[in-house]
Amino acid sequence: MAGKGTMVQINRETHEIAVKVVYYGPALSGKTTNLQALFQKIDPKVRGRLMTLDTKDDRTLFFDMMPVFFRTNQGVKVKLKLFTVPGQVMHESTRRIVLQGTDAVAFVADCRRSEAAATQSYWSNMLKNLEANGLDPRSLPIVVQMNKRDLPDARTDAELDDLRQVVSPVVVPAVAIRGEGVVETLHTLLTLCYRYLDPQFGFDREWHISEREFLEQIFSHVDLRGTAFGQTGTPG
Amino acid sequence: MTLSPSILQQRPPIGDLLDLKSFTEVCQSFAELYRVGLKVFDADGNKLVDVKVGNADFCGYIWAKPQGRVQCTATVSRVKGDVLPEEARPFGFDCFSGCRYVVQPVLYEGDLVGRIVFGPFVPEDAKGLPSSLTSIAPDFDAQQALVYQEKIRRASQASAEKIVRHFADILDVLVFTGHKNLLTARLHIEAVQESYRELQEKNRALEISFARLKELDRLKSSFLATMSHELRTPLTSIIGYSEMMLEGLGGPLTSEQREYLSIVMEKGEDLLQLITSILDISKIEAGRIKLVLSDVDLAQVTRDAVATVVPQARKKGIKIAYDPTHLPRVQCDREKIRQCLVNLAANAVKFTPSGGAITFGAHALAGDRVALVVSDTGIGIGEDHLDRVFDVFYQVDSSSTREYGGAGLGLAIVKSFIQAHGGEVSVTSKLGSGSTFTVVLPVRVGRGADIAREGAGPEARG
Repeated sequence: MAGKGTMVQINRETHEIAVKVVYYGPALSGKTTNLQALFQKIDPKVRGRLMTLDTKDDRTLFFDMMPVFFRTNQGVKVKLKLFTVPGQVMHESTRRIVLQGTDAVAFVADCRRSEAAATQSYWSNMLKNLEANGLDPRSLPIVVQMNKRDLPDARTDAELDDLRQVVSPVVVPAVAIRGEGVVETLHTLLTLCYRYLDPQFGFDREWHISEREFLEQIFSHVDLRGTAFGQTGTPG
Repeated sequence: MTLSPSILQQRPPIGDLLDLKSFTEVCQSFAELYRVGLKVFDADGNKLVDVKVGNADFCGYIWAKPQGRVQCTATVSRVKGDVLPEEARPFGFDCFSGCRYVVQPVLYEGDLVGRIVFGPFVPEDAKGLPSSLTSIAPDFDAQQALVYQEKIRRASQASAEKIVRHFADILDVLVFTGHKNLLTARLHIEAVQESYRELQEKNRALEISFARLKELDRLKSSFLATMSHELRTPLTSIIGYSEMMLEGLGGPLTSEQREYLSIVMEKGEDLLQLITSILDISKIEAGRIKLVLSDVDLAQVTRDAVATVVPQARKKGIKIAYDPTHLPRVQCDREKIRQCLVNLAANAVKFTPSGGAITFGAHALAGDRVALVVSDTGIGIGEDHLDRVFDVFYQVDSSSTREYGGAGLGLAIVKSFIQAHGGEVSVTSKLGSGSTFTVVLPVRVGRGADIAREGAGPEARG
């Protein structure tokens, strides 16, 4: 097994692998919007309902969850669960609970300059909660989504390039409300996630799931129009 | 962590996600609406609901024949147990009796979680009874069986499939709702537990730092007690030798020398008093205050206390009135009560301008208590300071240029000594008009007070 915090659930009896992905970030940064956009874009054949746990005034109280699932050519069932955490400060304990045993994290940030302080503070908060859950932020797959690029005061492309120089995670720009960058974020994250889990759990060697199949099984059921993969139609 | 890492990933069997009693009621009304039986199984083949409509007589008649029973059991086990593909669509099952079932797998989040069995119904195009049924027994009464079969609904495969699909949609919503509520409840509990755990951690940290502070406070009091004691010893010599010189034991003095020595002695005594107060307070704070009880005449003690401030009062032109009433004898520590009264009297003199008056009073109260009252016509205490005048080192005017000196210990000592007796001290005051301090003492000191009997002697260090 890997570190105590890693939780990819493997059931050898039923040939099942369950992977957990968490969308983390400050309040109102667009975590739920990401899931809603994916819900629209992913074929209902490979996803379940978008479960939203108790919203009040359009704010997430507990979390959102959407399952995505497929069976590989070799008959292994892969279940992917996408979660969001509640962003408001007071739900700290819920954030920590949802983060437990995650296999990958998308950190959704509001890229406006005015939000820099909130972003920074939630980033530190996430690192702290990952460590509290026994997860190592240095090895865990993390993608930073710089959301709300359409708003005034948003950081420019040049500034995002600067950001890439100083932070180690991949930075993906997005306008989640229009569905832009949402698929790219998930694709980048799942690519990293595969590369993180494969050496530990033998996805390829033991389960005969190649990186290409892992991604294709999902993204061949995603509406790729308007995404970076839109032209070719086959990402991964 | 209170939570096993997988709680959000676990999903119980659908039977646990549904309220089976109300779900059965829904199934019953559904089955009655379409006049066809309905069964729901979970993934392990456990029957959750079984509603029979119209087939009781027909199936009962077949069941009565041994061969019928065997074949019926086989059909049921196929319908219930045959492995179905993970597809959310109906599959038809024919019964040897000519009836038919449609079975739809229940999929949730891509998993097979159970199956819906809709039937039996008679296919719309079926005519008569099949030979597979009529041949189960030589005495099979086809006429009778046909009469029974009439009670079972006729339906086309297409409409049966439509109905079962519709039911699967309803079930999907019910399972989703149940799952959602379950997760909400679980997470809620976990969040509360997690917050509770955090709170406990903080409480523990606070307790540790509180204990540390208490220990520091004890060390401070202990240090003060030791230092006061050590300071008093040489000071007693300074005062003693000054006194001896004033008495001429060291030879004759000039009037100037005499005057200077008087000042040395006077200031030495002031200092001694201050150090004694500090020693008292540090003893109180270190919890080393002990009462030496005897039956005391409070009128006498009050007179003694008044006597100590009379010279000062006279110097300032303050009138002193003392009106003793008859008081019962009170069990108390004479020396400590005297000191309390001296402190109150000295304060009254200190804060009353010349021409003012100080009144000492005493009276018995109900419930075997007595009150001692010291009133003055002095500067008074502002309302916002009243609560705190009994605090250690508290000064109403704590500026460096304040008019009235003192260490801020007098009233703190009064409060501690009176409380040690099980009594209480209170103050009323009006700025510019004066203050009234009232000490209430019980006639008998209750249990629980730290008491040394008369004659046991004060503390060794005292």
